[in-house]
Amino acid sequence: MPSTSHKYLTLFVAEASEHLATLQSELVRLEQEPPAASLWDAIFRRMHSVKGSAATLGFTRIVDIAHAAENLIARLKGKEGKIERAEVDLLFAATDALVKEIVKLDKKEEDESTITLVDRLAKAAQALPDPALSARPVPPPPVMPTADPSLPRLDVSVVLSKTCAAPGARALIVQRKLKAMGTLLEMEPTPAQLMQQKGGARIAALLATLTATDEVREALVALPEVEQVEVRIAPAARPVEEGRPLPPPPVPIVSPPQASMRGQATPPLVRGLTPPPVDADELRPEPTVRVRAEALDQLLDQAADVMHGIARLREAAKRLPEHVAARLDGDIDRLRRTARELHGRVMSARLTPFSSLTERLPRAVRDLAHRLEKTIELDVQGADVELDRTVIEALGDPLSHLVRNAADHGLEDPQTRERAGKPARGKLTLTARRERDKVIVEVQDDGRGMDAAALRRKAVKSAAMTQEAADALSDDAAYELAFLPGVSTRDDATEVSGRGVGLDAVQRKVESLGGKASIRSVPGKGTTFVLELPLSVSMANLLLVQVGGELYGVPLHRVLLTTEYDLSARGGEGFDARSLVVMGELVRAYGLAKLFGLPSLAPPGPRPFVVMEVDGLRFAVSVDRLVGQEEAVLKPLFPPLDRVRGLSGITVLGNGRPLLVLDPRGLAELCGIHETSKPAPAAKGAA
Amino acid sequence: MPKRVLIVDDALFMRNTLRDIFSSAGFTVAGEADDGVQAVNLFRELKPDLVTMDIVMPYKSGIDATREIVQLDPSAVVVMCSALGQESLVMEAIEAGATDFIVKPFRGEDVLAVVKKVLGE
Repeated sequence: MPSTSHKYLTLFVAEASEHLATLQSELVRLEQEPPAASLWDAIFRRMHSVKGSAATLGFTRIVDIAHAAENLIARLKGKEGKIERAEVDLLFAATDALVKEIVKLDKKEEDESTITLVDRLAKAAQALPDPALSARPVPPPPVMPTADPSLPRLDVSVVLSKTCAAPGARALIVQRKLKAMGTLLEMEPTPAQLMQQKGGARIAALLATLTATDEVREALVALPEVEQVEVRIAPAARPVEEGRPLPPPPVPIVSPPQASMRGQATPPLVRGLTPPPVDADELRPEPTVRVRAEALDQLLDQAADVMHGIARLREAAKRLPEHVAARLDGDIDRLRRTARELHGRVMSARLTPFSSLTERLPRAVRDLAHRLEKTIELDVQGADVELDRTVIEALGDPLSHLVRNAADHGLEDPQTRERAGKPARGKLTLTARRERDKVIVEVQDDGRGMDAAALRRKAVKSAAMTQEAADALSDDAAYELAFLPGVSTRDDATEVSGRGVGLDAVQRKVESLGGKASIRSVPGKGTTFVLELPLSVSMANLLLVQVGGELYGVPLHRVLLTTEYDLSARGGEGFDARSLVVMGELVRAYGLAKLFGLPSLAPPGPRPFVVMEVDGLRFAVSVDRLVGQEEAVLKPLFPPLDRVRGLSGITVLGNGRPLLVLDPRGLAELCGIHETSKPAPAAKGAA
Repeated sequence: MPKRVLIVDDALFMRNTLRDIFSSAGFTVAGEADDGVQAVNLFRELKPDLVTMDIVMPYKSGIDATREIVQLDPSAVVVMCSALGQESLVMEAIEAGATDFIVKPFRGEDVLAVVKKVLGE
């Protein structure tokens, strides 16, 4: 009975899914390199682990598939020569089927396709030699054990339980027990003969021993899965032994030295022969525990709450009489430092390796290559570079888009490549590396490179810019046009990556994380997409401003300075854009209230301006009041707020009120300055 | 004195399942290991009355771990936990000194029956 109500079902699903995900990339590696034994072992182990747990839960279909796949894996490992693609395909099919099974565990009826798949796996395995038979050393021809003829002979008969799942192994235990009590002269059938038989076997043995029959019987009955035991003194000594020279003293010749018997003080012979196993210790990762990602998120939220609480406490302390406040201040400060450290530690616990993004890619690229009829080699560098989980999660789609894009548009087909004097196999390199507080992710192909002229034409055609502006762009700047919506490097939309759709989405996503996307390309040599990402996105220093009675946060890293200016004297209320002089430069100024369609509650006269800088472009927005600064934990916007241009996130203030965080780039676009003031950087990100 | 058991399996799912089986039968779970290296270390440290040992594990297989444990303590009681179709590995483990074995899938009572027999209860 499948037990979908098992208390560890979710644990099983999580563990199995993880194994299967890793399995996918390991299977891809099978095709790429002459597989090392360790790779086979890892693949076998994963399949095996899924099978074992599934068996305990009674998920027979999973067990059937995993078992059949495991058999095939075991034989493939022993196979000489190249692994066929069909064989790997079959293992992929098995992995896919297992993933599917695990996703919908509650489905009751037998799936037709499972039966066929198990059948195909079994057929493929049967075509290969069984390593269990060939790898096990051929047993030496049985040496007839000899025993002191004066010892009594016992006829022993043992019936194994019908439910015995491994009669060969059980018989081996019986054999060991018998040998521990005397000299085992005969045993029929042998453990090897009982292997892979059904339970219920009867074993007959002849034992030369001084041990009493009752004692032998009791020792055997005490063994698990032994149902019936008969021990009798054998009628007569065997005729074969007559006339032989006096046998040597009874030594258990059959048992090799490493089969150290229970209770016998066996000198550790083997220790000196086997290499010291110490180095395995070094291979082991640090001890870790499995934590639900959600639990870490909650922990982070709570750490942030503590920080907010402390901020409120500080505010409250300010209103106390000074002699009281002075004493509190030191304590609050210490508390604040601890809370900040706690927050930092939770943040770093949330760091996730880049590999968690890339482990599914080898499989995706393999399938893609087959579909596109190209050969593609995927190389992932820096898999252990760590990023915040928020970044990792947000990066999944953009990254797979860039990979698809590179495979489809970037890399040429093998014939074209060979004509161009390149290796037929295209290379796709994914790199992650840490640079100070940033992580740089690159998706590089060695394909045809981008066509700057085509990009210019497309940009003009899609009315993103004038012909003059396009012509003024350098080739390097023109490549960045690919990030514009509606601009693609190819005219034919393809099934795989569409019509360049999504490169603008890639840029938007990266920028919403506080990162930057750019393109490098060399015609004929290839294209590299460079994503510069912040190590963590969640904490931000905000400048709090008030407009129309509401508070907003402005990311401080975008704020150049704040200033006060009286524009109303020159243009009256409701101005759209004026200019003010900042550091000797004329900067355009906009009303934040006006941009958001809010009423401005500030009286006429001088008012504060926040001067921001985006891509080297400076602009100023007026606000009603500057309120202060706060370090805050940013959270992504939820619908429909996420569609509001000019907003990038939301946070909760110390007083518990939500605060919307402005997106300076979005504001620049709202102001209409971002596309027109400077052509080259403006092309980027204009939506 | 409740018997103390060391559970060795690389799947947390299996460890939890075995832990429940042993706890409900009055055993003390002295420790859990998720690979063979850890198993040997924990055995040395905890000196449990009983070890349940998975066979296929990373870093060091259950067979090698069993061999080392039995060298450390020839009277160690090690019960292999194997999956169906692993009979030759189980036999190898027995030759390496494993006391007995159970075959997955198992029910709680199957595990306890074997364990009680090998502990002489």
